[in-house]
Amino acid sequence: MEFEPMEDFDQKLKRSFERWPAPPDLKRRLMENRRRRKERPQWFALPFAVRVAVSLCLLAGVLAALYGGIAANQAEQRRKGEEARQQVLLALRITNHALDHMNRQLAAHNRAHQE
Amino acid sequence: MKSWIVAFVFAAAALAVPALAQTAQLPAPPPVEKDLAARASSVDEITLSKNMLAAAAALFMNSKDKDEAATSQLVERLDGIYVRDYEFAKEGQFSIEQIEQLRKYFETSDWTPIVRDRDRKTGESSDIMVKMVNGKSSGLFILDVEPKEISIVLILGPVGMEELGKLKELAFLGIMEGTHHTGPDNSK
Amino acid sequence: MAHDWQPDYEQLVDEHQSMVFSLALRMTGDRGLAEEIAQDVFLELDKRLGKIESAAHACFWLRRVAISRSADALRRRKVRGMSLWVTIEEDHGVAAEERDSPLGTRLEELLATLPEPQRAALVLRYQEELTPEEIAATLEAPLATVKSNLQRGLKLLRAKAANHLQEYVRGI
Repeated sequence: MEFEPMEDFDQKLKRSFERWPAPPDLKRRLMENRRRRKERPQWFALPFAVRVAVSLCLLAGVLAALYGGIAANQAEQRRKGEEARQQVLLALRITNHALDHMNRQLAAHNRAHQE
Repeated sequence: MKSWIVAFVFAAAALAVPALAQTAQLPAPPPVEKDLAARASSVDEITLSKNMLAAAAALFMNSKDKDEAATSQLVERLDGIYVRDYEFAKEGQFSIEQIEQLRKYFETSDWTPIVRDRDRKTGESSDIMVKMVNGKSSGLFILDVEPKEISIVLILGPVGMEELGKLKELAFLGIMEGTHHTGPDNSK
Repeated sequence: MAHDWQPDYEQLVDEHQSMVFSLALRMTGDRGLAEEIAQDVFLELDKRLGKIESAAHACFWLRRVAISRSADALRRRKVRGMSLWVTIEEDHGVAAEERDSPLGTRLEELLATLPEPQRAALVLRYQEELTPEEIAATLEAPLATVKSNLQRGLKLLRAKAANHLQEYVRGI
């Protein structure tokens, strides 16, 4: 096997190993990604303890909203039930009053007939 | 042939449903009530559906008061309550014709009068009607007229005079007897 | 003055995107993979921009990370060098024709057949024209190892190139 002189081969390598041009849109993509990263909150850049604290606060907020919603619904149900209860009591009182009057009238008529 | 029978059964059921629904539904207010309310010095108008009665019964049941707990059993079986009470500042604010309109409005074919009492001197009257379905009481109507007060009570459901009589035994109603009247502006 | 120098991300991209891409391409032989590596490298640069002390430091750091990420990618994908140079020839057909020697792209193909440490040493030597000492610093490898890799790699490449030349000549 015949090798060309190392100096020649060396020069060939230098010529062959010129830098390839980067893809035309590589820079655009890099800058676009960078812009999006800047706009987005860097969640994982925050210290772990901060992330834990924020997560717990969010969880507490969600639970409070849920509990508040359930509690509010239960309070509303109780209010409606109490309102109905008061209405029933009033209706029964009116009924009682009407029956009382009716009994008095009937009793008076009975006495009148007997006389 | 089978398909005709099936269709007939479904049609009959469909027709029956509205009828059943009507027996359980509270009536719409008669037009004359508007006139009475306009002249009254105190108005109580109560309309309670089955759902609202159930909610009230639950609260009665949980009450520590024995009377209220007993009331729960009465209330939870009812399908509806329709009560009107009109108090007038003076006599002569309504006519006998208006009372007749009220009674005729509620006295449909479903209802059977059991009490009809008239005092022509004072103009007072009492009417009680019951609604019977398959031999069982499914409603009670009371129209009580005093010189300065008209009370209409319509109760749907399995309730009779015996149950209402028990109302007299309910102490809490007696305590509140004199407090159900509202002021001129209908505020409570 | 080094401490007066402020890193400008966009400027660094302009200056070094070809270098980073080319290093990744010659290490992996895969254009798509090389683009991914280039994006990763510059993403990492953006994160560490505050720690870049000078323009030379930026260049040094980019070369080191480009080679490192390429090596990682190769280990993950276990790329076989020979089969992937078709992409380069298709995409860079014009560039290949402009090279002086018909062996231009063939050498790149042969480069892909070399073991990774030898390949890295040769790419940094002939693409970046680094000295063996600079290569050792970039690869964080002992100088003796770098020199050994350079020698062996060059010898192997030259031998493979000689075989190819003979075949090329016979094909005319």
